[in-house]
Amino acid sequence: MNASLIPPARNRAVVRRLTALSAVGLLTVLTGCAGTAGPAGPASAPDGGPVSGGILDVSISAEPGCLDGHGISATQQQFLGRLIYDNVVTLDENGDIAPYLAESWDVSEDGRTYTFHLRQGVTFSDGSPWNAEVLGQNFEHMRDPATKSPLAAAYIAPYVDGTVLDEYTFEAHLAYPYTPFLYTLAQSWLGMNSGKAIAESPETLCQEPIGTGPFTVADYQPGQSISYAKREGYGWAPEWLEGDGEAYLDGVEVTLVSEPVIRHQSLVSGQYDLTENLAPQNAAAVQADPGFTYENLPRTGSPYVLSFNLSRAPFDDLAVRQAFAAAVDTEAVTESLGFGTYTPIDGFLSKESKYYDPSVEGVLTHDPERADQLLDDAGWTGRDDEGFRTKDGERLTVEVPTVESSTPSPLLVQLQGEARKVGFDLRIIQLPQAQLTELRYAGDYDALAGVWHTNTTDVLFIRYHSSEITGERIGQNSSYVNDPGLDGLLSTAREADDGPEAEEAYSKAQHRLLEIVPGVPLYENPSQFAYANTVHDVTVDTSHPVPVLTYAWKAE
Amino acid sequence: MAVLRRVLTRLAVGVGVLWGAATLTFLAVHLIPGDTALLILGGPDARPTAETLAQVRTDYLLDQPFTVQYGSYLGHLLQGDLGESYRLRLPVTEAIGQQIGATAALAAAAVVVALPLTFAVAILSAQRAAWIRSIVSGIEVVFAATPTFIIGFALLIVFSFTLRWFPIGGNQGPAALVLPALTLALAIFGTLSQVLRNELEDVLEQPFILTARSRGMRDLPVRIRHALRHAAMPVLTMSGFVVAALLGGSVVVETLFSRQGIGSLALASVYNKDLPVIIGIVLLSAAVYVVVNLVIDLLYTFIDPKVVTA
Repeated sequence: MNASLIPPARNRAVVRRLTALSAVGLLTVLTGCAGTAGPAGPASAPDGGPVSGGILDVSISAEPGCLDGHGISATQQQFLGRLIYDNVVTLDENGDIAPYLAESWDVSEDGRTYTFHLRQGVTFSDGSPWNAEVLGQNFEHMRDPATKSPLAAAYIAPYVDGTVLDEYTFEAHLAYPYTPFLYTLAQSWLGMNSGKAIAESPETLCQEPIGTGPFTVADYQPGQSISYAKREGYGWAPEWLEGDGEAYLDGVEVTLVSEPVIRHQSLVSGQYDLTENLAPQNAAAVQADPGFTYENLPRTGSPYVLSFNLSRAPFDDLAVRQAFAAAVDTEAVTESLGFGTYTPIDGFLSKESKYYDPSVEGVLTHDPERADQLLDDAGWTGRDDEGFRTKDGERLTVEVPTVESSTPSPLLVQLQGEARKVGFDLRIIQLPQAQLTELRYAGDYDALAGVWHTNTTDVLFIRYHSSEITGERIGQNSSYVNDPGLDGLLSTAREADDGPEAEEAYSKAQHRLLEIVPGVPLYENPSQFAYANTVHDVTVDTSHPVPVLTYAWKAE
Repeated sequence: MAVLRRVLTRLAVGVGVLWGAATLTFLAVHLIPGDTALLILGGPDARPTAETLAQVRTDYLLDQPFTVQYGSYLGHLLQGDLGESYRLRLPVTEAIGQQIGATAALAAAAVVVALPLTFAVAILSAQRAAWIRSIVSGIEVVFAATPTFIIGFALLIVFSFTLRWFPIGGNQGPAALVLPALTLALAIFGTLSQVLRNELEDVLEQPFILTARSRGMRDLPVRIRHALRHAAMPVLTMSGFVVAALLGGSVVVETLFSRQGIGSLALASVYNKDLPVIIGIVLLSAAVYVVVNLVIDLLYTFIDPKVVTA
């Protein structure tokens, strides 16, 4: 298997305006499709200039059921939210905080007071204005239990209250210094809703969300489609989008197409212009087609990890964790699982994340001999008649629950095979979603597979700080890591301003995780989408690598 | 009077059926393990705060014992209030209302294709040469036995992926309705046509058919005017099967063809344990059954007056 077959994660300096030309060029250079029909020239833009008008037909793999970003945690909101919402701030092409609906902001010396100076002249699509009071209303709406927020409320948990200093100046008070605050405000789930709608009819926001964004929801058929219309008079896009004024497209028609094979076929047949999710098995076909652009971009945050449960046997033993990690040939598993489109990783933070430390690479390596040695030393020396290791008559068993489906998770089946080679009995337990969720929060499992995307390196706090262990509240530390040293580093990092102090703390934390081995890192969490080359200027931002259509246009 | 009493009795039984359906579904969903509040708040990606969880438990009475939840549910049901969807955060009636048109159109289109096809094939093939009957019967068995998902996929591969005559999915326009309706229709046709032909063959053996023929009637009019009327009774009795095939098939067909409708709503709701919507759809299905059976009962009286004696 050749590593160069994998379309690599592009670094963020490149992830900017992906004209059809640059994207196809990159793919040709980087994928090295071993002489197979490489993409020919893209459909050239007539005179190079953008064309106004037209409806972009988009297929998506799942639909959140509610379009108010504050009330959901669905992955698709990353893409859908960018259509109708603007955020207080944005991440620019370098991943740095940049102005959006706030022109500037000041952070107090103690890191607990944020003063936002808001952009003037912005209106919501219901005609109501954007101002300091509305920003306060949005914070309240996110944390109002009636919003039933599964995500946004937790992101702004340190927010205590706010003061409207004048019409366009808002002061937010935090309970403790929390540098990720601005990053989370740039995420699609935390887009700004109309203050008028929040005050008058918050219950309608799920079905009829009102934002300031480049498009508005014209019609929503839950479970089927969402029709977006261009917002007349829009003119406050962030600078990195390199555009002015209204969107070029008249509208975007988003249709739910849940079957991957149908998403692929309906894209190549021309029924849709873009699909938000192209399954890995169809990647090669689309890449080879000169009429299409295929994008495979890593999401920042936690990569795909098989997390161990450190709170119970057998993974309460460091040696067993190290042995399991050494037993898995991550490259081979990833290669076959992603049809060559997944990028293997051996650390606990996505390489695209801020403060990623490359010196973590090469530590957690595939080494079956070491795995055997570690297990022998840990006392798992017996073998039962099926060839699994035993200790005191008990088999070395790992139970991994997963959601029920017609075919067991291909990832777990592969891991099962890898682990068996050194004597682990990995059991895949298939359960309905409801039961799985309960089990997950009860901590009743040996390992769980999952990803967690966010645009801040605070993901390490969310995933591995002891206060994020599910107890009174629900947390994402599903590994039950409870390490005072790591806790200290992660708290320091989130409280420090962006800079050397945060960098050092995050670097140490990444190395400490290699010592703890809270799981096996597998591969980067990819955003894989594709579109016809008649579509131009599809951009992606550095918070979420999903298509942003504000200044995309269609050549006819 | 007899007819009126019949209708009233049937209606009373129907209400009982609806109550039973509501109760059984409520019980079944209640018994599925899993914390509904956690499920509502988004599954594996979520980090709900304690306040939010408490709010959800209070709003949906999840902290109350089963009897209280059931009593409250039944009370609201009697007032025509099906509750609010956990997932869509809409009244259930509205959630179902949004989808019912699409499924009704699909079902109607399937019936419009399936019934003429069934009658034409059965009438033309009954009591024909053995090889004709074997071929036709073989085709019917294939359609009756093949899962809807596979029929749909085969149609997609031939007519959408390869020939590109029809769109691959979606609800837009009549062209998008053709393949899904055909998929459902073929499944119904397979079974129905077998039953109808067997009946026709029995009837065609009867002395009155011989009488009709001896009067010089041509073959096709004999089949249509004399035999069909007698043979149609069992087909009518199978309307329950047809309704079941349409409702059950819509789950598969709507998912495969990315269509809006009750089927895909049902699937999404079961997956998310969206109890109010699940019960709403079960009640709707039960109501459709009750009404269809009532109408069929009345139709018997017109087709075969002997039935009224009951």
